[in-house]
Amino acid sequence: MRILNNPAIIIRHLNYGEADRIVTFFTRDHGLLKGFARGARKSRKRFGAALEPFSEARLYWTEPTGDGLAALKEAELTDLHLGLRQDLDIISLASYACELVEGLIGEGHPHPEAFDLLKALLDHLNHNEPTWEARLLFEIRLITLAGYAPHFLHCSKCGITFSDRGIFFEAELGGSLCPQCLPGRKVLSVSLLTLGSLARSLQTPLTLFEGFRFSSQTTREAHAILEQILSLHLLHPLKSLSLLDRSMPLPSA
Amino acid sequence: MLNSISYFAKLVAELAKFPGVGQKTATRLAFFILTQPQEEAEALADTIRDLKRKVHFCPICFQMTESDPCQICADPRRDRNLLCIVEEPQDVLAIERSHAFKGQYHVLHGALSPLDGVGPEDLKIAELEERLQAGEIKEILIATNFSVKGETTALYLARLIKPRGLRVTRLAHGIPLGSDLEYIDQGTVGRAIEGRQEF
Ligand SMILES: [Zn+2]
Ligand SMILES: [Zn+2]
Repeated sequence: MRILNNPAIIIRHLNYGEADRIVTFFTRDHGLLKGFARGARKSRKRFGAALEPFSEARLYWTEPTGDGLAALKEAELTDLHLGLRQDLDIISLASYACELVEGLIGEGHPHPEAFDLLKALLDHLNHNEPTWEARLLFEIRLITLAGYAPHFLHCSKCGITFSDRGIFFEAELGGSLCPQCLPGRKVLSVSLLTLGSLARSLQTPLTLFEGFRFSSQTTREAHAILEQILSLHLLHPLKSLSLLDRSMPLPSA
Repeated sequence: MLNSISYFAKLVAELAKFPGVGQKTATRLAFFILTQPQEEAEALADTIRDLKRKVHFCPICFQMTESDPCQICADPRRDRNLLCIVEEPQDVLAIERSHAFKGQYHVLHGALSPLDGVGPEDLKIAELEERLQAGEIKEILIATNFSVKGETTALYLARLIKPRGLRVTRLAHGIPLGSDLEYIDQGTVGRAIEGRQEF
């Protein structure tokens, strides 16, 4: 049987039976996969800590069989991301990022840029404080890579470019809206500054997380916008949000 | 004939509910029970019934017990100032095997797992806070697993407990990252308890 290998980030694992583990991992060139790691709980010879969540490793596996599980053969640890595991708030944000990848990219869709983005965030959180900027940048970039980018700087309906005042947002209608194109229901009112910040964060290299600073107003508006887009495209609410919301409350006005 | 098949299927369905047991294994186990002598199979059924009737979780520490409270909670020789927090009942057994710990236990019945939506309210954490409220406990030894879930739980507990001014310690390293306590040899567990460090 052909053995594949690729850089991967471990998303989660589940103990199976006495000694085995089922591991969900995100590979750079083969997308999100589930694999069976025989003996991973009992013997540490073959896999060591490489199958722990947030670890980056080169994994070796054979293609999934009938049960949809790849058979994991070997793991070479690249980066344990030890710094990630020493702070509850960082764990919360990293878990959320992993779950968001599962939710937006899904199994079996290769997406190297999304892999690079997740890797960049984990590398960043390994040495830096968890910030709202990191969360929002990750969200908007992953949304964009998944193909769900909204219209930001011009009206989704009539295409007019915004000058200053009276800008609205409704993810379901494609993004930003001018006052003339409003639907008959309540939509988000947003500022050009926030839309500009979001648009700019897509013009830098997507793996860059340092050097961004959002005001508390921008943070709150951007969060409302991204939350709307995410709820439109995620099939179910993310479980990691309950811990993340406690760890990183929205900044007050 | 039809009936005997449905009894067999019923047992297979029950056994397949066990963690880590699939249809195939369940069928093999059911077939094994079927080929056992009558007394053996009935002894098994009795044991399961007795287990449910007589064994329960200690209302203080949540370890499995047949007495109320459990033997450890009732033992006057155990240090009541020192409390060891573990994820699962089998972790108490692993630590007891090392003979290095003389305090009492608190079993959480799980670990925080943000990705699985397991939060503090799903664990015996409110009960832990009640025990701390009583004021007898002076040191907390966090002995959750050295996995992401175990570390997440340890960090959460430390944040919760430290403001109370108690000493919070963690098993010394030497226990490899990613390991479950259950699978560590007793010597290593013993050394990790003796060398516990401020967390
Ligand atoms: Zn318009
Ligand atoms: Zn007890």
